[in-house]
Amino acid sequence: MMTLRKYGLFLASLLLFLYISTANIYSNVDNSLYWKVEINQQKIIVSGTVADQAGQPIPGATIVEGGTTNGVVTDADGKFTISVQENGAKLEFSFLGYTPYEHTVIGPQRNLMITLTEEVSKLDELVVIGYGSMKKRDISGSIATISNESLENTPVKNVMSALQGRASGVQVVSNSGAPGDGISVTVRGQSTLNSGNEPLYVVDGVPVESNSLSQLNGYESHGLNPLADINPQDIESIEILKDGSSTAIYGSRGANGVVLITTKRGREGKPQINVNLYTGVSNITRKLSVLNATQWREIIIDTYKNLDAYNNTVNPSEPHWTAIDSLNPMNSGDVDWQDVMYRTAYQKQANISIIGGNQAARYSLSSSFLDQDGIILNSNYKRITSRLNTDFKITNKVNVGYSVSYMYGKNNRINAGGTGNNSLVQSILVRPPVYSLTYPDGSPIYYFNGKRNPVGLAIEATHLNTTNRIIGNQYVEWEILKDLRFKTNISLDFITMKEDEFYPTTVDYRAGWNSGAVRATHNLTWANENYLTYTKTFNKKHNFSLLGGFSQQEWKTETTGLNGQFFASDNIRTLNGAGTISGQNVNTTVEHSLMSVFGRVGYDYLGKYLVQATMRADGSSRFGKEKKWGSFPSASIAWRFSDETFFNSLNALEDGKLRFSVGQTGNESISNYVSQGEFSLNANYLDYSGAAPTAMPNYNLSWETTTQYNTGIDLSLFNGRIYLTADAYQKNTTDLLFNVPIPETTGFSSISQNIGEIQNKGLEFALTTHNLIGNFKWITNFNIGMNRNKIVSLPENILTNGYLQNGTYHILKVGESIGTFYGWKFLGVYSRDEDNINQVKYGSANGKVFRGGDPIWDDLNGDHIIDDQDKQIIGNAQPKFTGGLNNDFSYKNFSLNIFLQFSYGNDIYSNLNMMRNWVFAYNNVSTDALNRWRKQGDVTDFPRPIRNDPLRNEYLRVSDRWIEDGSYMRLKNVSLAYDLPRRLANRIFLEGLQLYVTGENLITWTHYTAYDPEVSSYSGLQIGVDDGSYPQSRTFIFGLNIKF
Amino acid sequence: MKSIKFIGIIILAISFFSCSDLLDKEPISSFSADGFYKTTSDAQAGVYGIYDAAQSVFRTNFAYWGEGRADNVQTAQSGEGLQLLQNNLDESIASAYWGALYDMINRANYAIKYIPGIYEEGDAAGTQLVGEARALRALAYFYLVRIWGDVPLITEPYLSIEQDIFVTRTDKETVLDYIEEDLTYAAQNCRDKFGNDRDRIMFTKGSVNALLTHVYMWRHKYDEAITSSGLVLNNNLYSLVTTMDDWGKIFTNSYSKESIFEVAYNEKETNSLRVLYAIGSYAIFTPSEKFKSSYEEDDKRIDYVYDVTLTDPKAIWKYLGKGLSDEDPTPSKQNIVLFRLADIMLLRAEALNKKGGTQNQSEALGLLNSIRARAGLPAFATVAAAAAMYGDLESAILHERSIELCFEGHRWFDLVRTGRAISTMNPINGLSNERNLVWPISINSLRKNPNLEQNEYYN
Repeated sequence: MMTLRKYGLFLASLLLFLYISTANIYSNVDNSLYWKVEINQQKIIVSGTVADQAGQPIPGATIVEGGTTNGVVTDADGKFTISVQENGAKLEFSFLGYTPYEHTVIGPQRNLMITLTEEVSKLDELVVIGYGSMKKRDISGSIATISNESLENTPVKNVMSALQGRASGVQVVSNSGAPGDGISVTVRGQSTLNSGNEPLYVVDGVPVESNSLSQLNGYESHGLNPLADINPQDIESIEILKDGSSTAIYGSRGANGVVLITTKRGREGKPQINVNLYTGVSNITRKLSVLNATQWREIIIDTYKNLDAYNNTVNPSEPHWTAIDSLNPMNSGDVDWQDVMYRTAYQKQANISIIGGNQAARYSLSSSFLDQDGIILNSNYKRITSRLNTDFKITNKVNVGYSVSYMYGKNNRINAGGTGNNSLVQSILVRPPVYSLTYPDGSPIYYFNGKRNPVGLAIEATHLNTTNRIIGNQYVEWEILKDLRFKTNISLDFITMKEDEFYPTTVDYRAGWNSGAVRATHNLTWANENYLTYTKTFNKKHNFSLLGGFSQQEWKTETTGLNGQFFASDNIRTLNGAGTISGQNVNTTVEHSLMSVFGRVGYDYLGKYLVQATMRADGSSRFGKEKKWGSFPSASIAWRFSDETFFNSLNALEDGKLRFSVGQTGNESISNYVSQGEFSLNANYLDYSGAAPTAMPNYNLSWETTTQYNTGIDLSLFNGRIYLTADAYQKNTTDLLFNVPIPETTGFSSISQNIGEIQNKGLEFALTTHNLIGNFKWITNFNIGMNRNKIVSLPENILTNGYLQNGTYHILKVGESIGTFYGWKFLGVYSRDEDNINQVKYGSANGKVFRGGDPIWDDLNGDHIIDDQDKQIIGNAQPKFTGGLNNDFSYKNFSLNIFLQFSYGNDIYSNLNMMRNWVFAYNNVSTDALNRWRKQGDVTDFPRPIRNDPLRNEYLRVSDRWIEDGSYMRLKNVSLAYDLPRRLANRIFLEGLQLYVTGENLITWTHYTAYDPEVSSYSGLQIGVDDGSYPQSRTFIFGLNIKF
Repeated sequence: MKSIKFIGIIILAISFFSCSDLLDKEPISSFSADGFYKTTSDAQAGVYGIYDAAQSVFRTNFAYWGEGRADNVQTAQSGEGLQLLQNNLDESIASAYWGALYDMINRANYAIKYIPGIYEEGDAAGTQLVGEARALRALAYFYLVRIWGDVPLITEPYLSIEQDIFVTRTDKETVLDYIEEDLTYAAQNCRDKFGNDRDRIMFTKGSVNALLTHVYMWRHKYDEAITSSGLVLNNNLYSLVTTMDDWGKIFTNSYSKESIFEVAYNEKETNSLRVLYAIGSYAIFTPSEKFKSSYEEDDKRIDYVYDVTLTDPKAIWKYLGKGLSDEDPTPSKQNIVLFRLADIMLLRAEALNKKGGTQNQSEALGLLNSIRARAGLPAFATVAAAAAMYGDLESAILHERSIELCFEGHRWFDLVRTGRAISTMNPINGLSNERNLVWPISINSLRKNPNLEQNEYYN
């Protein structure tokens, strides 16, 4: 808290400085500008106040004299003064979110009261689309918009999590609850087998890198989140392009959807200085049950007794060591390791932004600082972001702009997830409760009885990740003729990531062993896009728009790294301290490039019949020399039936539109050179440098192609009080990029080929209702998406027994969906030996017979042998539907937001629960084990614990015993804000002051029994597995929004 | 004017940035499939790459294949070591997978196809490299036929998926003929020597002849074996070490003058010798009771093989060194000796004995005695003396091989080659079927190639 106060003081003084200096600059510039206007003209002075319906003054509203460039903005009290040339001049009053108002001047006037009415209907809002923007009214594809309002007052740290539950058909799953960790976003279902499944992210027109650069993921299979680099508070709006006609303009990268992020840009007017400060506290959402020391000793003794009974041993065997001796000082504890490992974590963020400008120059700048502790010891994420967006009108016809953003991130990670001995979440749940934290002499125990101390690992091991990123973008926009505009931009995206890893001697089981690794990765992307747009209306009826352009982009990634062992000291953790540099020295560079030509034609007749077609041709360096270029066309039509005369009688219908679209998009997310085959170096024989063929070329390797059909309806009723969007779609993806296994007699294990077909189809609904307007406002947003995923075809030669194994838990099978779990079915526990009437055996005809206390496995083929032939489909990780429900209430100065988010019908494979219920060696288990089988005749569903289980009932046995319903509904966010009345705020020299409290992840309703149903231990295709990733936390924040 | 200026700037910018070859990206940190084998250094690197594959082939499997099913070892482990010893092989064991051998073959096939195009016709530098590549390919096929019998014979590199990838098995005699062809070429074209450590870890004429001797012995071609072993014995690169300390160093220090061909490892490119033989109670293999009771008294070699003071030794010291400690963090970096002079001498003795005749037998006896003498064992004065102790001269020679070359990966092949596998192993693990002498083909291979048939015994 001390540091927070320091930051606060620093910021306050910085703000003061900025406030004073900008105010001065502003007044100089603007006064002279208006002064000029004034001296040349005979003037009629009009002054007054602009206010909203509730009588609250609106500062920053624009007043322009129609047909001229003469204009002013209202001050903090909503007051304005403008001089016009003559009577009859038309004053246009406008403010974002309010219906514009026109006032005709009839002579000098003072105290003119103008009331602007708030716009309910959003139909005239501009929606960002690929290479342009469009009125929401005229959209003929399927696009979801998320405005910055839904990001306010939430502790959202990155763009991807801001999408969760906000847009129908967009499934967002956090890989873990660790600060700064990755998030998977899936738009309208998985449409690929093993190439990238993430949508394309475009920030202010610049496609940005969204793949994790992390090379050292430890035991976790997911990386860091590169979009954590964008400060959510900088975002004006997010658009998600979903259907083929909207995404086809992004061609080969559009198949997984496109997320367009628009950052805040400068506005004409007085500088608005905003400061947002918040501080928060997080706790784990729930703890899981473990046995206490007494219960644990009993079950360990049981494991021995059961093994003796199984072997008919005469002399009972004794547990090793002194583990069950409660008097031994090493084993006398009684610890729930969760209490030691999880903590109450604090976070704080400070954000400052300044937005303003005049006719010639507009600016928006912001900086933020985040310091977030994780709920596991020693995990921490710090981030600094800074952004400047500028736009200049350099001549009447030419605009230029420049944007730059910088981000620094430092992530002190914890190896939480995964299944290894180094994976902390599992380790703390299975660690015997009796172990002492320290030796009798008080020194900490790190490695003991074959187990690393998870607390020691958290504190002593280093997993540090440092990222620096700069994104720069400049554009020139030139109005060549009236209606004909040309825009070109050049952008750079440069990321460096350095990772440090170190395991000191204290956590290794081998005396004197320590090891470290370092990786430095640079990624440079440049892009250049150039396009012409032409819009023209003929006879006031026929509206044409044309777009044509070309673009180029190039990526270059360099990775450098070393691994070392036998460091002289645990305190020098850089690699110069290593005694031995091991074989893992890395230095590679890869490149990738893309060239594109694209175009769009739009036509509408009176806005009633709308037609649009797009075309993009992409060439990618990744594909075979025969197949470098691909083209991606699309077409859409829409019919605004509400404009037909026969609907005129329906007063309730403000707007109604039917949409149809079809489009093709591609996926090029494969590694850079696979089509060319590969001879890799490092096939060394001692120090004799060798090379070896490691990939067979496939010169015909080409794009994955997705053809998507979409039909939808938009309805706006009762002047926009009810707005409904419904869409139905079908996506067929063919020529899937897949590493097809081939016989190893070729010298290769697989080759990349285009095979198979996947289908996704679904329904999406989004409903916005303004339930109450006026003083007490209540707006509800509800969205729901239902997607059905199906594998339509896979080539025979890659299947075994009719399916393809996909990782440990899943299979890919024609007719089933991605995310299908495959394993044995658990039918209960044999109560007595005799209950195994058929003498069912394990493994083979000579295998061991299951006895009382063993699980009853479903003998699918009835051969009385439990083996691979008895595996079956046991679950599916695909949700039946996902969505969100958002309610905004406001009354006078109070506003309340309640946001619920849900997922229904998905199964979870809880490997964590398997580990928590498998009495392996001396592992601790959950309290479910208290209900265990103990003797012949016991009826239970918890099998007997047995040492070195002769029947291998848990070991590597994927079974539906660990499948659980992963449906949940989460009270994701509740936020209450209070705006200080403006008068009061002004009295303390502020334009506004808002106080807010927010709770995140407050309640989760679920049947899932481990930490959290939102799991994604593996990214991509192996969805719905809980390996025990970093648990989610419940967070409360308290914040201040200050406007100067 | 302004407009023109802007058009100019824009055209400049665009022409500066657009390059027509933007989409032609050659790999930077590796070669594309058709970007390699252009220069003589590529040719050399390609051949080193085959040796690199050999490191993977032998890293663990030299012991599983050569010792795991034979009578010199036992195991306290429950994994693959036990399965092999109990003759309980199945389709999923790791040593039944031949992937690494075919990787080695594919690398060799690339080298053999492309190297001649780099050099002028008849340039010795080129034929030497092709000779090495062919020797390495033969080495891989020799292990393949000995372990699986009939195997797919692939002699061309795979350049495209259009080639026949679903191959069938070729008769093992055809494969062995092909091996001989490769080795005959290699024996003519390989270097005589490198003049440095490479003489022990890369193929020269001498080591090719040593491999040929093994091949001929496997095929019971004794005349040819006598010829090729003669070339090895007369090669001045090789001589027996004399002291027992030097004998120990053949394995612990590698690069001994007695060594003919070793697969080399170092601190970074390690093998599994530690796990296999010497990680205390965790070692996969330890000396069997039979081995411990089979050597003659005063055999000076045994001290270097395991800790004789223990009734239940937990380690084999031969490679990792006498008195090795568990806690010792040194990596498993010793070379795996595939052929050495004592090995070829004893093979020659066997061949001479098979040919019969007094002169041959006395030469055989002389070879055997020179190995015995070094180990501090008395010489057999006559063939009869040897026969009195071991039944016949062949048995005496094979016994000597079993002690001298213990744990070096020869024992199982010696038993199979001489038709003694069943009689030796039946009392130990019940081995009784000739068709059981080969390994099963891995399930992973069968799954990927429907044209492969499993070895009959394992069907």
